[in-house]
Amino acid sequence: MNHLYVLAALIPVAFVLGWWASRQIGVRRSGAEVSELSSDYFRGLNYLLNEEQDKAIEVFLKLAEYNRDTVETHLALGNLFRRRGEVDRAIRLHQHLVSRPGLTDAMKTVALLELGEDYMRAGLLDRAEALFSDLVAMDAHAPSALRHLIAIYQHERDWHKAIEHARRLEVMTGEEEAPMIAQFYCELAERSRQHGARAEARDYLRQAFECQPDCVRAFMLTGRLLSEDGQHAEAVTAYEAAINADIAFTPDILPPLLNSYARSQQMERAEGFLRDMLGRYHGVSPVLALTHLYRQRDGERAAVDFLTAQLRLRPSVRGLMALIDATMDKIEGEARENFLILRDLTRKLLEGQAMYRCSRCGFGAKAHHWQCPSCKNWSTIRPIHGVASE
Amino acid sequence: MRPLAIVILVIFVAAGIVLGALNADLVDYDLAFFRMQLPKGAALLGAMVIGWLLGGLTAWVGVSTRQRRQLRADQKSPLTP
Repeated sequence: MNHLYVLAALIPVAFVLGWWASRQIGVRRSGAEVSELSSDYFRGLNYLLNEEQDKAIEVFLKLAEYNRDTVETHLALGNLFRRRGEVDRAIRLHQHLVSRPGLTDAMKTVALLELGEDYMRAGLLDRAEALFSDLVAMDAHAPSALRHLIAIYQHERDWHKAIEHARRLEVMTGEEEAPMIAQFYCELAERSRQHGARAEARDYLRQAFECQPDCVRAFMLTGRLLSEDGQHAEAVTAYEAAINADIAFTPDILPPLLNSYARSQQMERAEGFLRDMLGRYHGVSPVLALTHLYRQRDGERAAVDFLTAQLRLRPSVRGLMALIDATMDKIEGEARENFLILRDLTRKLLEGQAMYRCSRCGFGAKAHHWQCPSCKNWSTIRPIHGVASE
Repeated sequence: MRPLAIVILVIFVAAGIVLGALNADLVDYDLAFFRMQLPKGAALLGAMVIGWLLGGLTAWVGVSTRQRRQLRADQKSPLTP
């Protein structure tokens, strides 16, 4: 009978083992621990994808209440608050997350990074700077923190610190930041020029060229400095180099270049350069410059003939306006009235037009900015080419 | 992980064969309605399998019932912003 006792003892032991194994399999297969959250999670995600952020926030808040350990949910929620402009709520949430005991170091640094972004959004740049600096010192999410720090220093126009951190970022990530650093040096050079520190400005420009040898802005600033110093022939060389470095900036470079040609009495060189440009640049600016040149040298008839021939090749509203202005004096009576209406119309057409556009974010502007006011990228705003603009 | 599981499985099968061979003698069982004779090793294995299956079934029924209840509760209380 002894084996019967053994059997009686074995059945409950096997029962417990079977129950435990089934629970384990169940947890692993259906994700029972996760499934309590997952239905709400996917509901929240669905609201997010449907651009119903209010409902998404409600769901995520409920989720965070259910399970206070869901750090990722808190982070997502904070991000949502920030994007909706509710920065104070985002700050409170991330502060709560950072102060939570038992949080892993990795999660805490993510929360700190998010908190820094909240501070930036709220305009509390000093607090954001302190947080990002700590993160860089801890070597936690350092590239992101460095990028934010550079953005802060750009906003504060602290170009020296921006340069220092951009160089650190370059070393850390291996990505080339030289064009951006060159722009920072150009900002410093421009500031020095405005304060009359011309030698200092030249030194900054030299450093800009060291970073980016074909920096258009540095060439333009060099030309301006030389022109202001009365060295017009040298200014011409600098402006020509600027156009050769990036021909897209021709509309901005041509006016000072033409001025320097005139001051240094190099009009033949001007004609040669502009003629050469006609072949490789399809905007109207060189045409208008040549028209002006021919008007002064050969008279109105030659200028109008040249402009008419060029407008057939590259139709442009700016060119049309120049043609109307040129022919206005010869017309009388009713035709003159019609031409006046046409001139007003073309002027209004040009007034409403954005002349520049950011190649990254599409921001349109009437004036040129070296840094896009919208996406904050450097050298991405370029003249628009088309019938109504360049 | 898979080779280790195979090794353990082989060890247990071997142990089962050895135990079955060592306990091959027949034993009488009186289950009130009928009587039967089974080898001692087979009775041991049968008890283990029955206990395991009952335990697994209980756990499965428990989990699936809870999940169904949760789903019903979720559907009854739609979210209001």
